[in-house]
Amino acid sequence: MGALDGKVALVTGAGRGIGQAVAQLLGAEGARVVVNDPGVSTDGTGHDNGPAEQTANAIVAAGGEAQGNFDSVAEPEGGEAMVQQAVDAYGRLDILVNCAGILRDRMIFNMAQEEWDAVIAVHLHGHFHTIRPASLQMRAQRAGRIINFTSVSGLLGNIGQVNYGAAKAAIAGLTRVAARDVGRYGVTVNAVSPVAATRMTEGVPGGGSGRSEAPRSAFAGMREAEHVAPMIGYLASDEAWDINGQIFHVQGGRVSVAHQPVPEHTIFTPSPPWTLPELDDGVHYVLMRRRRNASPPPDDTEVPGRDTHTRKLS
Amino acid sequence: MTALEGRTALVTGAAGGIGREVALLLGRLGANVVVNDPGVHLDGTGGSAGPAEEVAQAIVDEGGSAVADAGTVATPEGGAAMIQHGVDSFGRIDAVIHAAGILRDRMVFNMAKDEWDAVIAVHLAGYFHLVRPVSQLMRQQRFGRLIGFSSSSGLIGNSGQANYGAAKAGIAGMTRCLAADLGRYAVTSNAIAPTADTRMTQSVTESARSARAGSGIATLAPQPTRADPAHVAPMVAYLCTDQAWDINGCVFYVGAGKVSIAHEAQPLRSINKPYLHAPWEIAELAQLVPTELMRGLANPAPPVG
Repeated sequence: MGALDGKVALVTGAGRGIGQAVAQLLGAEGARVVVNDPGVSTDGTGHDNGPAEQTANAIVAAGGEAQGNFDSVAEPEGGEAMVQQAVDAYGRLDILVNCAGILRDRMIFNMAQEEWDAVIAVHLHGHFHTIRPASLQMRAQRAGRIINFTSVSGLLGNIGQVNYGAAKAAIAGLTRVAARDVGRYGVTVNAVSPVAATRMTEGVPGGGSGRSEAPRSAFAGMREAEHVAPMIGYLASDEAWDINGQIFHVQGGRVSVAHQPVPEHTIFTPSPPWTLPELDDGVHYVLMRRRRNASPPPDDTEVPGRDTHTRKLS
Repeated sequence: MTALEGRTALVTGAAGGIGREVALLLGRLGANVVVNDPGVHLDGTGGSAGPAEEVAQAIVDEGGSAVADAGTVATPEGGAAMIQHGVDSFGRIDAVIHAAGILRDRMVFNMAKDEWDAVIAVHLAGYFHLVRPVSQLMRQQRFGRLIGFSSSSGLIGNSGQANYGAAKAGIAGMTRCLAADLGRYAVTSNAIAPTADTRMTQSVTESARSARAGSGIATLAPQPTRADPAHVAPMVAYLCTDQAWDINGCVFYVGAGKVSIAHEAQPLRSINKPYLHAPWEIAELAQLVPTELMRGLANPAPPVG
């Protein structure tokens, strides 16, 4: 008896990495799985049915039920088609896991429009393209689980990833709003920010560890992805019915709920608008007291305000 | 020397609401202002050069320096053109403030693809269309200020705004990544999540109400917040000053006399299983997540009936 017996799941980007581990876990827990992956390279080029078929075959070989889907989430028709395939094949859709993703890292001042567009298309538009039809189906069912993938790159910031960070932070926002749109219909929407060494993290500044200092060598490849998958399995289960609109960090054996970006420190004036000297005091001494510039200018750069004080605020 | 004398700022969406107040204040503080606004309706349709020209004229009438620009940020060419307009007019661009925005509210299960695309294009892609060309200039100048507009709709969550909430949370993510890319060049990147009564918030209430009504959901009457958009502008201006040189990668809530710094999305609480053990069992998580992690965190929209 699995935790997900009788459920129907769609997992995007399930040919490799975390998506593969998630699809196999959901299959092992009794869910019937549509395994989506167009089999592209990490930069989004090419096409190969192999990865999705391999994952689907592995689920079937382990005694589960699965079929491949090779559409791209970057197109609205692709998202519609994979949701429809689940409904046509298995009669419903209980679980949507949005793992599909690509990378085109570049510093902002060198990033090509095409590098921005491609990453936004797969991650951000890709999430919308599956969530839109899936949420309609789940609303009609009065039940469903949507699990999105965000990242510390967007939640905390990372160099050379303004496209990926924008998409991943936007997915966190989409998660919070969609949770409020569909919660009343028995559908939950949550997001996971994973840390796992997969082919996507190779060559990323900061490695697969984001800002964390955890050594990558301690846990290689699939083992890390397998550590991320159980939290997705839990969020997909009936028992997680009341967990909605949250962001979870998952790294190795650690599962954390993310702090919501609510006001941390506040300054107030009873007679707005603020003057600039008032703001200068309040911002420095109250709001920024425990913050530091993550990427300060080097000492040999002349910085107005640090090295010269020629302008007055009032 | 006034606080922003000799500086040049581009303000998008500067014909109305918060953008207008920001443009006027920056002009008063001595900055040359590129007043951008395509003069569209709240849903992004239509267009007129008049509104931007009116604000630019108001700055000039007060003794300031400004030019009007009626381009759109929704295309790469539009973004690049308004940066170039600023350089051609004033020789440099020191600050970009992206206040432009449109709304197309709808519950996510009913949202049309074009409603999603239009909002992402203006808010999120629009910011990229500006920062991509201007980041090259600012890097060469070894000076710059990038100020995006985020929103509690994306940071906290607001029903009926999947497109807008995604775009606004995305701008917060961009803000943090831009800070990492550009900080070493003495360029700062920050975001403001404003609270102010503008035509956008009037419509938020109205459109969210109609979206809910369309789904058979009653909504409480709109709550006026009495937040003047002019009260948001000083924090934007402050972030443009030399004194704010070391404030980088932050998101601030601003309005009605308050300024708050947003909490970072670091772990609030954690449960741990030693690394070298087997992965979690779902049954273990089912026991620990509700009792340990979720303590005090309510479902924002629990199931009804």
